[in-house]
Amino acid sequence: MTGNKSPLRRAFAPIGAFNDKMRDWWEGANLWVRWAVYLLLIIFALTLLPSPQFATFMMPGSDWVSTLIHPIGTFILLAIGLNVVVGQAGLLDLGYVAFFAIGGYSLAYFGTKYGWNFWATVVVGILLTGVSGIILGAPTLRLRGDYLAIVTLGFGEIVRITANNTDEIGGARGITGVPHPTLPGVEFTLRDAAPYYYLMVGAIVLVIILSRRVEKSRVGRAWAAIREDEDAAELMGVPTFKFKLLAFAMGAVIGGFGGAIWASKVSFIEPGNFPFILSATILAAVVLGGSGNLPGVIVGAFLIAWLPERLRFINEYRILIFGAALVLMMAFRPEGLLPSRRRRAELAEGTGGMGSMGAEVATQTTVEPSEVSK
Amino acid sequence: MLLEVRDIHVHYGKIAALKGVTLEVEEGEIVTLIGANGAGKTTTLKSISGLRPLTSGRIVFDGTDISKLQGHKRVLAGIGQAPEGRGIFPGMTVQENLLMGAYARKGTFREELDEVYELFPRLSERRTQFGGTMSGGEQQMLAIGRALMTNPKVLLLDEPSMGLAPMLVAQIFEIVREINQRGTTVLLVEQNAMQALQLAHRAYVLESGRVVKAADASGLLDDPEVRAAYLGGDLGVD
Repeated sequence: MTGNKSPLRRAFAPIGAFNDKMRDWWEGANLWVRWAVYLLLIIFALTLLPSPQFATFMMPGSDWVSTLIHPIGTFILLAIGLNVVVGQAGLLDLGYVAFFAIGGYSLAYFGTKYGWNFWATVVVGILLTGVSGIILGAPTLRLRGDYLAIVTLGFGEIVRITANNTDEIGGARGITGVPHPTLPGVEFTLRDAAPYYYLMVGAIVLVIILSRRVEKSRVGRAWAAIREDEDAAELMGVPTFKFKLLAFAMGAVIGGFGGAIWASKVSFIEPGNFPFILSATILAAVVLGGSGNLPGVIVGAFLIAWLPERLRFINEYRILIFGAALVLMMAFRPEGLLPSRRRRAELAEGTGGMGSMGAEVATQTTVEPSEVSK
Repeated sequence: MLLEVRDIHVHYGKIAALKGVTLEVEEGEIVTLIGANGAGKTTTLKSISGLRPLTSGRIVFDGTDISKLQGHKRVLAGIGQAPEGRGIFPGMTVQENLLMGAYARKGTFREELDEVYELFPRLSERRTQFGGTMSGGEQQMLAIGRALMTNPKVLLLDEPSMGLAPMLVAQIFEIVREINQRGTTVLLVEQNAMQALQLAHRAYVLESGRVVKAADASGLLDDPEVRAAYLGGDLGVD
């Protein structure tokens, strides 16, 4: 790759320049300007975005609001969650869909078997996914880079196949009649997508606030250190293992939350809803948008969810074109569409990125010295 | 005795990297560990700072056995390390890197920061620059400064001269001497044996995972075997 000299690389330059300018402006902006922008964005999301006028351009001839909920909304939610793991802590997780599944199944199972109310079940589902994140993380987070990726990939498959073979949760037939949320004055039904849309916007805003707060905290600093150099982080007194576990748990919780909302919207879930390709797609969204940078990740998720839907008119070629676009993007703008400055500095140095992708395994060996010297 | 390493064995998988290393560091000393590539110098430091688990043996620091203590807890106990390859956080600014050194402690670190900036005026000029965009020498200064921010009783330095021009090496060694004179004990791992021996009080020579010589640094400078093996000297023919 000829780097900066290639014409395609240059074609992306204006995006970078615009991005830099926006960021400078944002960093210099007053608090009230920022709040005004947040408010405008929320108003835009609540009014203009789902409006029919917008729909004719974004998604002619199909249900735009439903598309906004799924895949766009769920993808954004999942991408923000995966960004905690991949973008902030630098841990490559290829089985993220497992948490989406556990969240969805929790809601479906407790809702249909025990008739629990949606909100109570969401809380239980979130706790369960958090615990499952820790269960996955505790043995695997001693691995690094590629090894961690392989093990998490396996975890994603284990969850799907277990769901497929467990009759208690419907086996391959899945679970029907997942409860809809209940709110006084609002009726959540299969027919009307609007309440779900507002629920989804609310969930995304909540998760953004949470993710932002954590990123700016001591925890966020520890994650950044782990992502950039795990050994050095430990030498600074950062309990790296504990914080990696926390990143897994928090990513899992967000994924589970997304799974629960999605399951209640579609009201029928089956193991086939949670294939490996979904993990890969969400990861693509995070990397495409600019891993570690929240606005970038949201834009990435939006594009990854929306483009294949928008390209439906070219039938089977759409995935081909979509794939080609991704390949070009990664070849000429590997840092993503809207990377943070910090991430660019990391990539320039050749570390950071997606954890230290070096195949390093920290294992406790119990080999006796006498055996070794033989 | 500030730091005692007693007969430690360390393995990478089935391969033995350390086959019984014993060394001691007194408070206030500069001790250097010299040896060829793969002799186990870095592994020794990593074992002391807790990045590598021991197969057997003991490490006693400041009167307590820390052999099983996790790495991040050893930092609070008073072991600060500038790791091999510097380990700078590339996406953090110089000041953020330094403040990471104080991560485990509470409070403001004005004084500590000022002290590091006074030792390394170069870092002071570059407070807001990303760590990853600095030159090798500056990164080494940052790595040492960051380790000092952990407020260590013993400072472990892993090849601070690696990849640096001779003038910079001299400058960095001078600063290490200054740090030591201000009261911090230093354990220095070096391939650059000549300069390390001139700086240190005592030295250990490591060869394939074992200590083969332990003596005063000045003594080793005159040792014919050491001269031949590590100082590019007279090959013992005179």
